[in-house]
Amino acid sequence: MSLTTQSTPPPDLNSAEKRRRRLLLMVLAGLSALLLFVLFLFARYLNQPEPLPELLPVPVEVNYPPHYLLSIYDVDGPIGVAVSPEGDRIYVTEMRGERLIKIFDKEGVFLDSFSPPRTTQGERSPVYIATDSRGRVYVTDRLQHAIFVYDRDGNYLDTILSPTLTLSEYVAKHTKTAPTPGSFSYDIFEEEVDCKDAEGGDLTLPRPDYALWAPLGIRFDSHDRMLLTDVTEDAHSVRVVPSDVVMSPDWLDFDLSAMQFGASGQGDGQFLFPNSAVDDAQGRVIVTDGNNGRLSVWDDQGAFLFHFGSGSGDGALSLPRGEAIDGRDRLHVVDAVGQNIKVYDFSGPEPAFLFAFGSMGVRDAQFNYPNDIALDDSGRLYVTDRENNRIQVWSY
Amino acid sequence: MKKLLLVSLLVLAMMLFVGGVASANGGPHGDYTATTDACAGCHRAHTASSDNLLMADSTYDLCVSCHGGSATGANTNVDDGVFVSGRGGDEGTSTADGAALLGGGFVNYGGAAVSSTHDPTGVDNMAWGAGNERGVLAAISENLDCASCHDPHGSPNYRIIKEEINGVSVSVAQSDEGASKNYGVVSWSAQQSNVCGACHNPYQHATADTTTGTFTHAVDVTYGGSTTFTDGNGDTVSVDLASGYIVCQTCHFPHGTSASMTGYAAGAGPAGDSALLRKDNRGVCQACHQK
Repeated sequence: MSLTTQSTPPPDLNSAEKRRRRLLLMVLAGLSALLLFVLFLFARYLNQPEPLPELLPVPVEVNYPPHYLLSIYDVDGPIGVAVSPEGDRIYVTEMRGERLIKIFDKEGVFLDSFSPPRTTQGERSPVYIATDSRGRVYVTDRLQHAIFVYDRDGNYLDTILSPTLTLSEYVAKHTKTAPTPGSFSYDIFEEEVDCKDAEGGDLTLPRPDYALWAPLGIRFDSHDRMLLTDVTEDAHSVRVVPSDVVMSPDWLDFDLSAMQFGASGQGDGQFLFPNSAVDDAQGRVIVTDGNNGRLSVWDDQGAFLFHFGSGSGDGALSLPRGEAIDGRDRLHVVDAVGQNIKVYDFSGPEPAFLFAFGSMGVRDAQFNYPNDIALDDSGRLYVTDRENNRIQVWSY
Repeated sequence: MKKLLLVSLLVLAMMLFVGGVASANGGPHGDYTATTDACAGCHRAHTASSDNLLMADSTYDLCVSCHGGSATGANTNVDDGVFVSGRGGDEGTSTADGAALLGGGFVNYGGAAVSSTHDPTGVDNMAWGAGNERGVLAAISENLDCASCHDPHGSPNYRIIKEEINGVSVSVAQSDEGASKNYGVVSWSAQQSNVCGACHNPYQHATADTTTGTFTHAVDVTYGGSTTFTDGNGDTVSVDLASGYIVCQTCHFPHGTSASMTGYAAGAGPAGDSALLRKDNRGVCQACHQK
């Protein structure tokens, strides 16, 4: 038996079926074109050069506390904190351990550490720290009674020995030439200055004579003025140093004595261990009057205006230490014994308490003797949390 | 609960009724008045985090907020054992800037790390001789911290030493009590040994006592001989008497010392234990017993 295969002829497509198929092809082509167009728009959106639309600005009258972000460890009894002008570096002073000044990046990665030249751990006590607009780092030292100045990497530049004398000035007067940074140093315990003579040879000078002072708190305002507190016994005061002194090309004719106000005591216009001074947009100088447990407010000419923040209630201070003011004149004050940060509105004629954040403890967002605070331009706050051995980072 | 109530009432009474408590120091250690805000510097009436209504888990941590190495609220830096008033001279102060505190330091002394200290952090309640037997550690009535010996609210002496320590009445006096307060110069009387004797009682004897079967050096006795000696290396060692008396503090620092103890003969003693002594090795012996 043989099998015969017969091929089936194609169906005879009628005209209606042909139209339906053409229509389907056209719809498919249209959808493909639409998909390509959407992909084109998506690619164009991703590559557009224009910035993303601005977020709606927060109304000025809205005030809300910041939130806790993270903590930076690897510090021993941190006391003072400052941020570089670019906001990319955090500088911290230590009260315990080796008593170093440590540099961290914005995310808390340790970068480097430094300390005053020719000092051992027991011969230095770095306390408050600040940066000027050039990025130079200033550190007050309670044992050395001096302000040490470094570049942004911690390389030693100079020492402010007294209100009217820098170490470079002292060396220049003896050598008749301006010394280069790194070529001179001073050991206050050995009472000798090492430097180079005009020919580059080694030279040892006797201790300089200097005026009585005890620098403690240091800040720079937006006009490059230095605001300094002085806790010389029985003569507690605040100095406001003009920018032309600080920003002078050299410090060979140094003088911090332009404006000085205050005295020791508990009355009006008096301080007991002023720890910090900042100024607001109205030019008022606000001082944390530590052992008097209050803020002391002065006008731009150094005349006493009023006290604020003492007494009882939410905004009352126990032991105010470091402070920082933001672009909206919100003053952030570290209350070391209150174990929190208190925030006041200084934008009007009368300051007002806004809120406080933090509480005592060892967990995240809790403090164990905080001492200082620094702000950056992105809304971050850095707080030294002394007995928890960390720097807490908060953000608005 | 009763204790808390009692302390609360005491604090309230102080805030409301006390009009100028006599005290040796101003600032946060005294001069309280009915209108003072100073109480809130350390206490909270209803929201304190620790007993005695303190805003502190550790008394030492609270004290070093002012008196620590940063000295952000005091001239007496007890961590480094040094008085910091202001560089440049003695103007405006009765204590020279940089003067060593007579109590020594808890972290450094004379710029060097300490080799022995009393532990002020509130974790230890043991004291040599507290059980009335020399050479034996025994418990005292509380864990040791700054407030064991000092009264932060002031006392009749400017070193604010308490009038009762470890349940024992203590009376001390300083010859310069009053206007001049020199933290760097010995101005004690023989009573200064009472501060130590409150916990280390069997060591405070004016005779070579054998009560506990051992002999001890006499204290609270006068000494008329030289207290300065130049040793074989040419180094001068000296100790200070208290108004002519040998007291515990003649040889020992109450806070801490950086003295080194390298001079022990092999096997002769606990090498490395500087026992709060004021001088390296056995300098405190040589100062008077000049051999």
